[in-house]
Amino acid sequence: MKNDIAIMADPDSVTGFMLGGIKSGFPVRDTEEAKKTLKQLVKDEYSIIIITEKYGDVLRDDIEKYTGSKALPMIIEVPDKSGSIEKESDPMNELIKKVIGVEMVK
Amino acid sequence: MADEIMEGINPTRMELLDLKDREKLAVKGHSLLKEKRNALIMEFFKILERVKGSRDEVKAKLAIAYSELNKAQIDMGDLAVKRAALSVQESVDLEITSRSIMGVSVPVVKSQTTKSNLISRGYGFTETSVNLDIAAKEFEESIKLIIELGEIEKTIILLASEVESTKRRVNSLEHVVIPRIKNTVSYIEMRLEEMERESFVRLKVIKKSMEAHEKADAAIE
Repeated sequence: MKNDIAIMADPDSVTGFMLGGIKSGFPVRDTEEAKKTLKQLVKDEYSIIIITEKYGDVLRDDIEKYTGSKALPMIIEVPDKSGSIEKESDPMNELIKKVIGVEMVK
Repeated sequence: MADEIMEGINPTRMELLDLKDREKLAVKGHSLLKEKRNALIMEFFKILERVKGSRDEVKAKLAIAYSELNKAQIDMGDLAVKRAALSVQESVDLEITSRSIMGVSVPVVKSQTTKSNLISRGYGFTETSVNLDIAAKEFEESIKLIIELGEIEKTIILLASEVESTKRRVNSLEHVVIPRIKNTVSYIEMRLEEMERESFVRLKVIKKSMEAHEKADAAIE
């Protein structure tokens, strides 16, 4: 596992992150391309992959498949330049509620 | 479900001893798993303290970064910004190790973001605007936050799935396995007692009939 960080997003966001010092930028334009790129990134064993929420939403299944219960790679979703997507339920909050909620009943 | 007994069990003393051993083991396993579950949940709460607000922080920081980037793009043009970005030196140095929380290995990321100043970033001054510098700085800071957030979220996900599977095992032991073994044990005990009584009665009857025979024989003689 190489300790590397990659960014996969729309071209503008990639430019921004590259300014911030990430050398592996992968601009993608549509879902199909994003799907392929993500697969390649996982295969190339990047340990941290930053993607935008927009692609994170459409590639939810793939992400789950790649990360699953393994520690690496970490796939982190960040908002893109149009701001973050207002989700009805934050998956993280949902998860927390699930774990603790049942405990409360105990 | 709770008053089921195990299938294919012969009511013998050997089986009874066997089952009693299994019950002991199950109870021991149950208490161990329960402890594991409690420890995991404590760890989970600890992590939760760290995640609070962390995502919002990233969002806010990134929003600033994007707007600065936008300004730079307006100033210098899309292409020039891209060219500058390509020549930026790599600033993030990652070291990923893992630590184990109750058998769940979670990643620990040590990121060394070199605080680059204007000169070490690597693009020239003549063609770049001040907004580009600000944008670069904001992005550097965002990346640091994002890596931290990623570590925490990953830990939460891993812990949550472990908590869940442990909880399921505890519950299945508590509500299915142990009651079933207990029921089977009491079933076998009852059967054994019943058999004892049966044989006792049988012996009595045989003894009686033998005495009757003897009496009859004596009468004939």
